[in-house]
Amino acid sequence: MTSTPTDFFSFVGGLSRFGVKSLASAFTPPYEWQFFLVHLEDIGWRSLPLIAAAGLALGVVTALHTRGTLVSFGAEALIPSLQSASFFNELGPLVTGLLISGRVGAGIGAELSNMRGTEQIDAIEAMSADSFKSLVVTRVLACIIVLPMLTVFMDLTGLLGGFFSERMASHISLQLYIHRAFSTVSWANFVAPTLKTCVFGFIIGAVSCFYGYTINEGSSGVRRAATSSVVLSSLLVIVSDVFLVKLIYFFFPGKAL
Amino acid sequence: MSAAIAVEFKNVSKSFGDRKVLQDVSFQIEDGKALCILGRSGTGKSVTLKLMIRLLRPDSGSVSIEAENIAQLPEKELSRVRRKMGFLFQSAALFDSFTVADNLAVPLRHFEKTMSPKEVQHTVEELLSEVGLDQDKDKLPGELSGGMKKRVGLARALILKPSLLLVDEPSSGLDPITAAEIDALLLKVKQERHTTLVIVTHDVREAHKIADTLAVLDQGCLVGYGTLEELKSSENEVVRQLISES
Repeated sequence: MTSTPTDFFSFVGGLSRFGVKSLASAFTPPYEWQFFLVHLEDIGWRSLPLIAAAGLALGVVTALHTRGTLVSFGAEALIPSLQSASFFNELGPLVTGLLISGRVGAGIGAELSNMRGTEQIDAIEAMSADSFKSLVVTRVLACIIVLPMLTVFMDLTGLLGGFFSERMASHISLQLYIHRAFSTVSWANFVAPTLKTCVFGFIIGAVSCFYGYTINEGSSGVRRAATSSVVLSSLLVIVSDVFLVKLIYFFFPGKAL
Repeated sequence: MSAAIAVEFKNVSKSFGDRKVLQDVSFQIEDGKALCILGRSGTGKSVTLKLMIRLLRPDSGSVSIEAENIAQLPEKELSRVRRKMGFLFQSAALFDSFTVADNLAVPLRHFEKTMSPKEVQHTVEELLSEVGLDQDKDKLPGELSGGMKKRVGLARALILKPSLLLVDEPSSGLDPITAAEIDALLLKVKQERHTTLVIVTHDVREAHKIADTLAVLDQGCLVGYGTLEELKSSENEVVRQLISES
């Protein structure tokens, strides 16, 4: 990524400026609604199967793991509430962030870098159209808006996976499972962790657009943009999660378990 | 009365880092004429084109389009000047996710906001038929051959009826027959629309067919400028070598 401290700070500065510019430009006309809606569909709608499959599988696996431990204490009735606590607080937001950084981050990095290499971005600018707005701002905004929605979907499919697992093991009814799962969940448990994924969306959008928009090295550049987008955005999602969790506990102290 | 000047470079220099790409380059192109810029790879030919439409800015000197120095123009004014220009990129630069027809419609939708969708469609179909691709309007760029892509790129560059057409390596990567077809289209544009052409090429035969004037760049410097006959007697060895290929 960088070879000297100067390169490192120049990279961090460049990426930060790029991210701030992408947010600031979102509030000034012209607004590229058409591109924005296309990206909403691509990043959101087309990610649903991946999120659903991952949520279901994760729900089953976590229920199986917790059952093994809780049964020995005679506390298997707590499984639904543990499922909801773990999905709403951490698993849902973090896994969604990581999955989207893999699927969407690589795609954005590769697509924009290919557009740069094949002069498509130059062609947009030659028409005096703002390529940054139509290509970068719309993608970053779509990521910010889509991540919380996908997180809710991941939470629900995770709970559903947990229910399937519990149904097989203990024949629990859906009503009882839902009652137990939501009995300990407050709005603070749900809203703040879900909304923190807006930050994940911003990180994924800004990092992958930065690599794609700035790397112009032919086919090796496309590969580098895709790989670097996934690696850095995944890392930043995990690191930012630490700070965001601390921040949520600071603003909602009652939420700490 | 002397003819109007379409493009004027005055002492233009451009560097990328330590590498000087253009050094003190000056020339003029008359309205309606065709200039071919020749030179070896990496001598600043494509950079010269990109300076003309301000995809790049010069480090020093001025680039004027129809007597307006575009190097310092604010974005809004630049958009007005760019409206008069078309650019055929070396790779055609078609938008991958758009159909052929949509690729042509993009500049119309951007610059001609008052045009109805029907008018846009009509203009697109008319121009596609002119370049012989009216049957391919619903195809994606990935489904086209290199020559077809170039023709779509040319149609997109012409859709706003520009007075100045910039063309980067029109025949690169094409077989001789397809390259001749592209050259014939460019000649037709010049003769029928009286469009000023600036063409970057390696191919001296192509330059000979289309150009009124030739410019030869070597190591960022303009080492030859004039008609083919004038350049044949140039004292510069690179110019003589390039021209002798024809």
